[in-house]
Amino acid sequence: MNAEDLQLLEAFRRGEESAFTALVIKYRESIYRVARRMLGNHEDAADAAQEVLIRAHRALARFDGRSQLYTWLYRITVNLCLDARSRIARMPLLDDEEGLRDQPAAQILEEEAEDREVGRLVARAVSTLPPRQRAMVVLRLYQDLPYQEIARIMGCSEGTVKATMFAALRKLRRTLAEAGVRAP
Amino acid sequence: MTMSCQDILERLVEGVTGSVPPAERTAVLEHLATCPQCRREAAELEATVGHLRAAGAFTTPPGFWGEFMERLSAQAAHERLPVMLRLRRWLAAPRHAWGTALVTAAVAIVISTVRPPMRPTATPDPLSPTARGLVTETMTTTLPSLGEMLDVWRAGLATEGEPLGATEPRP
Repeated sequence: MNAEDLQLLEAFRRGEESAFTALVIKYRESIYRVARRMLGNHEDAADAAQEVLIRAHRALARFDGRSQLYTWLYRITVNLCLDARSRIARMPLLDDEEGLRDQPAAQILEEEAEDREVGRLVARAVSTLPPRQRAMVVLRLYQDLPYQEIARIMGCSEGTVKATMFAALRKLRRTLAEAGVRAP
Repeated sequence: MTMSCQDILERLVEGVTGSVPPAERTAVLEHLATCPQCRREAAELEATVGHLRAAGAFTTPPGFWGEFMERLSAQAAHERLPVMLRLRRWLAAPRHAWGTALVTAAVAIVISTVRPPMRPTATPDPLSPTARGLVTETMTTTLPSLGEMLDVWRAGLATEGEPLGATEPRP
């Protein structure tokens, strides 16, 4: 656990709520980004991020410090998003896709429009992955977490993470190829 | 595809996501130089990861984080714990757990070793627990002088040189 997080954790245990606020400011965007990738729209991601941080607030004093604080927060985030995903059979990513469609086409340069279209197809392809595969892809590609940390978060071996990533990337490659996405 | 190609492909995933160790990276590159099939696979994986990373940026609505913090503070304040529970939270911290355990153990030892003054004890029972089990209430009520009789007998038996029938012949 890094020294800065440790200091904030100790301050929180002494009753300083401002220490918790500092931790929130430090990690809120990462938590939100993971939740948004996992859940596919802004509202659900914002609610999930709130819930993650409220749960963290309740349990932070008992955090044993054996892992990095962000690993612990990501674990809460991923578990919460997996629970949310299991309640919804299929997440259509309506908000993100509609947000992209709402932009008036005339105001967007052709290249930017193409990027947005590719972005939409990529988001859709990621949404077709099974939830645990999706979580691993998000943590590796978008949060740049090492495989070892991902294994801790997901509660499996490092080898399982690598094998799952391999399967996920192959599936994404196939899906994107079917959607006509060319190599960048 | 040979087994070595399979090994290389697993390392390729690490390579294209940027985390293959330098020693393994050399081995991967050497293999790719001689294996067109793995080269093609590597290029496609690289392209896929490129697409995924390029589509990585999300924006939040203006003012979102301000509202987010307000809502979170309100929720956290709503959950603000009373003093005793906050104390419990403090004690729940792992670094305080050992201290709490030691203090609890010390208090337990003090309580068990420092005892209050002894109360006056009751008059000891002359009968042993085994004998007490054999002497029933009926016996003690019907033979109130049992103890005295036993004393007399004991005294008589203890007199040496005087057989019981020596002074007074039996009828």
